[in-house]
Amino acid sequence: MSFFSTRPRDTPADASELTAEIDPLHSWVTESMFAVDTCELSLPNIEPVALPIRLPKLTTQVRGFQFPDAARWIPPKSSTPDQAGAATEAKKKRKSDPNRKHNRIKPPSDIVKLQDRLYYLLQPPLDLLVGSGQLNFPFEPFPYQLDGMAFLFPRYAGILADEMGLGKTMQAISTIRLLLCSGEVRSVLLVCPKPLVTNWLREFSVWAPEIPIAAIEGSSAKREFQWRSPQVPVKVANYELLMRDQSILTDDSMHFDLVVLDEAQRIKNRSSTTSTVVRSIPRTRSWALTGTPVENCPDDLVGIFEFLSPGYLKPGMPMPQIAKHAGDYILRRTKDMVLDDMPPKLYRDAELDLTPEQWSTYEAAEKEGVLYLENLEQSLTIQHVFELVLRLKQICNFDPVTGSSAKLERLVADVEEVAASGKKAIVFSQWVKSLDKIRDALEPFGPLEYHGKIPQKKRNTVIDRFKNDPDSHVILMSYGAGSVGLNLQFCEYVFLFDRWWNPAIEDQAINRAHRLGAAGAVTVTKMMAMNTIEQRINDVLDQKREMFDALFSSSETPTRNVGLSREEIFGLFDLRAPCGKKVA
Amino acid sequence: MTVKVNAGRKPKSTGAVTTDSPASFLAIETPQTSQFLFAVSERMPDNLPKKNEATIGYFTVVNDERTGWTGGLLVLDRAGRPLEFQCTLPVRPTRAHEILFGPTLRSHLVAQVIGKLLLSKCRTPLSLICCDLPEGLKVESFTKSPVTLVLEATSQDRHPISADSISGSETVSIAGATFLVAMERHAELEAIADFYNDLPDAVEPFERIREAVKEAHSQLSRQNSEAA
Repeated sequence: MSFFSTRPRDTPADASELTAEIDPLHSWVTESMFAVDTCELSLPNIEPVALPIRLPKLTTQVRGFQFPDAARWIPPKSSTPDQAGAATEAKKKRKSDPNRKHNRIKPPSDIVKLQDRLYYLLQPPLDLLVGSGQLNFPFEPFPYQLDGMAFLFPRYAGILADEMGLGKTMQAISTIRLLLCSGEVRSVLLVCPKPLVTNWLREFSVWAPEIPIAAIEGSSAKREFQWRSPQVPVKVANYELLMRDQSILTDDSMHFDLVVLDEAQRIKNRSSTTSTVVRSIPRTRSWALTGTPVENCPDDLVGIFEFLSPGYLKPGMPMPQIAKHAGDYILRRTKDMVLDDMPPKLYRDAELDLTPEQWSTYEAAEKEGVLYLENLEQSLTIQHVFELVLRLKQICNFDPVTGSSAKLERLVADVEEVAASGKKAIVFSQWVKSLDKIRDALEPFGPLEYHGKIPQKKRNTVIDRFKNDPDSHVILMSYGAGSVGLNLQFCEYVFLFDRWWNPAIEDQAINRAHRLGAAGAVTVTKMMAMNTIEQRINDVLDQKREMFDALFSSSETPTRNVGLSREEIFGLFDLRAPCGKKVA
Repeated sequence: MTVKVNAGRKPKSTGAVTTDSPASFLAIETPQTSQFLFAVSERMPDNLPKKNEATIGYFTVVNDERTGWTGGLLVLDRAGRPLEFQCTLPVRPTRAHEILFGPTLRSHLVAQVIGKLLLSKCRTPLSLICCDLPEGLKVESFTKSPVTLVLEATSQDRHPISADSISGSETVSIAGATFLVAMERHAELEAIADFYNDLPDAVEPFERIREAVKEAHSQLSRQNSEAA
């Protein structure tokens, strides 16, 4: 018990100074109540336990692949100083662009072995080979064309089904060139419609000049020799000829590493003789080129697959199933899809050789005509030369005796493809007579006419019908009537059956189809008979165009008035203008 | 009449395939101090490769969360054509590895586990090795060839790393790209740089390795699912 002594509070202010003290005399503590003692407790030692955590060794396995043949599939470098210089320039300029999309060779799904798949995957992309100057082309291919080559290269069965005008021929030739250079194929057979044989030969001379090629033609004995000749790695034959030479083709000793069918829709009917013969050709790789793999029904595709991979597709298969199965085998691009890659106007020069009948008439007429002009001496006028030029150009269109025409054969083949794709085309000629003959040949494609002989009041009806009639795929126009004041921008194809003197007039004609608001890119096919007056005129115009472009490259003038001068017209026949010097 | 149709639809084999057993494992060790910290006098070996025989080995490691770490070594000739490809099976470090190796795990996997094994299995003599990962430079301990880092192929925060971020190194320009090499091997690399003038692109081959690794993985998973 404790007692507190307090001092008496005088005032309320003194209360804050209140203090308390313990009085030891009247207090007690615990020690006075309990006895204090110590006791001892023993604790066990703490023994730490080590728990081992095993860290497994990080190991792996390796798979190795070697590609001994890889270094050899580049075509020989060009020795021309221009191209060599360009290659060096390309090397200097190159710079890696991480965002650039490369044109890689990708293995198709039917190549299963990892070794083989990696062989293709690990090749350098084609665009880089072109960019570094290792892979040379006469003209730089568009990126989509490199994709086409990358598609075909590894394929043992494939369809290149690009829309007409995108360069299926060039893509096939360039890939064949790569395959031949790599030693992956040694013998190639190209099968195409007869009018296209010379075109293939010419395209080969442009895109693969170092590859020997021959067209199978001539007598039966000559053809047999050609078929069996190992000297020529690439042979070109037309469909009709295959039927005649079937016994040679199916001979045990005959084998092709690659057979390419151009216009492969010809074998869509599986039971046709053409299809049977083509399928019987012994071969390792099979490619089909066609702008219209399906014309009427999905079974068309089954017909083509019977050539590529027999039994892979079956008639009557549901559409989704066909699409799923065939997907990896087909590459199809339309102009719309590759519009960024290509110019909105795509020019194709159809350089054709006259038929033998045309050629003999042409040679006689030129010889006779030049002699006549020379004999005129001082009375020679430009009008005389014009007359000869026009006469020769008419022969280039049609042989006046037999009616034979290399241009018409080609035109029919091309319009067939245009019509099969549901597209429309304009054909220009300067002569109504030529248009008449063309009309007869194009009858199956619903040709309409629009030229000077069509009365003015009927012309609008013709245009309306051409626009609206789905069966009318082609309109025939003369340069004069069809070149101004018409908008036919729904047409994607323009054929210049013969050439006008002045490119400005041709440009006007082409622009009927290629206008603002055009549905897509326009493909312009300029038909030209090689080694004739047409080629000479074209060469002069090309020279003038180049000169014009060099002088006024910054000018954006759409049409250039670069027609032939008086001297140039005389110069076409190496004639001396009466009042001037000789023009070479 | 015998008709041969598509007789050889499958392509002929393009080379030899080798499958190797697991390599012996190195004891776990701390990463070595970067060799590039020490300036060593440049040396020029007498046995430089001949131009026509010059090769270039591209080495990279792909890390995929699902499959793990896979390494690829692509050997090209001087024109960029594939001669050989070596590819590891994926390595999957455990959580224990991640904890105990800490930040050194990546370097250990790239150089000592994957890089070393790939180089030991490569059959083609390599004139030059290049990588796109800074850790890859450490494979120099396992090869006599100069090991380089292709700066344009590297990525740090979506940008190539800079040449001065690795000390003790110098750069050489090859086929339009910047190759970083230890300064003691600089003269050696300079001497062979011109051999690779025909190389179409010095960065793109890393992409090929990644594509090939993807292809190998997809085939592996296909085989596994078929087996299951």
